[in-house]
Amino acid sequence: MISLLSYAILIVCLFFLPFILHGPYYIHTFILTMMNIVLASSLRLINLSGQMSLAHGGMMTIGAYTSTLLVMKLGLSSWVSLPLSGLFAALIAGLVGFPFVRLKGIYFSIVTIFFSEMVVLTAQQWQSLTGGSTGIFNISRPNPIVIPGILNITFSSKADFYYLMLVLMLISLFILYIVENSRVGLTLRGIQQADSLAESVGINTTGFKVLAFSIGSFFAGLTGGFYPHYISAINPDSFGFLFTIYILIYMTVGGDKRFIGPILGAFVLTLLPEVLRPLKAFVPFFFAAVLMAVIFLMPEGLVGLPGRLKVITARFVKERGERA
Amino acid sequence: MLKIGGLTKNFGGLAAVSGLDASIHSGDIMGLIGPNGAGKTTVFNLITGFLRPTAGQVVFEDKDITAKNPHHIATKGIVRTFQGDNIFPDFTVLQNVVLACHLKPGVGFFETVLHTAGSRRKEKDILHRSQAILKLVGLDTMADVTTRNLAHGHKRILGIAIALAAEPKLLLLDEPLSGMNAGEVSETMRLIDRLWKSGMTILLIEHNMRAAMSLCQRIVVLNFGRKIAEGSPEEIKENPEVIRAYLGAGEHAA
Repeated sequence: MISLLSYAILIVCLFFLPFILHGPYYIHTFILTMMNIVLASSLRLINLSGQMSLAHGGMMTIGAYTSTLLVMKLGLSSWVSLPLSGLFAALIAGLVGFPFVRLKGIYFSIVTIFFSEMVVLTAQQWQSLTGGSTGIFNISRPNPIVIPGILNITFSSKADFYYLMLVLMLISLFILYIVENSRVGLTLRGIQQADSLAESVGINTTGFKVLAFSIGSFFAGLTGGFYPHYISAINPDSFGFLFTIYILIYMTVGGDKRFIGPILGAFVLTLLPEVLRPLKAFVPFFFAAVLMAVIFLMPEGLVGLPGRLKVITARFVKERGERA
Repeated sequence: MLKIGGLTKNFGGLAAVSGLDASIHSGDIMGLIGPNGAGKTTVFNLITGFLRPTAGQVVFEDKDITAKNPHHIATKGIVRTFQGDNIFPDFTVLQNVVLACHLKPGVGFFETVLHTAGSRRKEKDILHRSQAILKLVGLDTMADVTTRNLAHGHKRILGIAIALAAEPKLLLLDEPLSGMNAGEVSETMRLIDRLWKSGMTILLIEHNMRAAMSLCQRIVVLNFGRKIAEGSPEEIKENPEVIRAYLGAGEHAA
């Protein structure tokens, strides 16, 4: 009950945040943070089934171009194209998933990298459709939401996009949370621990792995679909390999054992470089250092930090006691 | 119930199993024995679809199930245990069995995720059934223990419980007694005997010869992938071919 209340308070605070933040740049940073939270959390869902996908950047690219092209070439409303961008990424993941999940461990990861690069190359080469390496500019904003007298969101300010991304994030996290805590989540974790055993009691492990890959990719596609309408431009290099690795780092540093882990990781690691802005050129170096520190010192990630501090203080207190 | 005809598996040039014929009738309890490397586990893998046979076929209840997916074969009613990797180590004992009760059809993805009334009722059924299975195998007092912390013997028994949760008609046990102490061995043997008497058909691989002889009605002996003998435990004990396989073609023959 208390935790439910605190979540409610947190969400209310998030709704009021744009009024407190000074200037569009900070709002922009928070929008990126929320995107990264969705990306890292959905990556964790794929990871639950014991496979490390590195196709998230590719899936975002698919989502971004899907939404952009549906709006620009077919004249669809972005409210239709946005869910379709997620669904299309999920569909592609479902199709390529079946051959991919036959590979295990690092081999699965490698093939997802190739897939991701292939998506980027396709976007670069298919010039008539995607505009090649220069990409597409002047992408239209989402259609305004107008309820006369009550609501008038025109997406002319960053704050409007903040609210859109906030709603997308809350819905995404809600769905991811329910899936993880349902029998589907239990099955995925079982497959991660012993996939032959799961198969032997009648669980279609291939199907479940593809399902996890597909659901996770849905959210990558959705986030990717949001981005071009927000930035109003897209090019093939927007979500490359390094971007995917960052998502992986958010998840790992936050801790992939618990739901809150990637949320925490994405939050800390997206905001921290902003604090260290003068050192911006060193960000990749800094991320690598953080990643190594976490892997060596906190294998459970940031979420394991309170428990670890407790152990260390207990040990310290005990040693002091023995010395006295 | 299960008919195996001309079952063959070659790994490269090595014939792990060659031309194996065997059949199990409903209500049988049959042993599969043989020296190390005789191909016993390979036979299990071939029956349950974890390996594709090079030749031959597996027929279960008059349906050809050769080289079908393992999960498909499990839904048909053949469930096997493993020598290693036989539990989900991060789950509690109860969760292990609950997960394996997966086979109940009719709970769709959205039903499960959305916790509809129907799926909640089914989850409740599954919980009751899991608790009943734990009681049957004697692990009910440890339901909330994380399984990586269990003693080896209890892990092996949990492996059997997991298989039972999938409601097998034919249960394949791969060395169920290995690594157990004397007390656990007799306990597990009683469990297997109880399962058989309750009407389950059982095929088991066992290295503990005394246990295999006392549990099984019929025994098939493999050596170098070939069936060298089949019969009652008494016949097997006296079969010269079997004695030679186990003790080697000794000089005493000369």
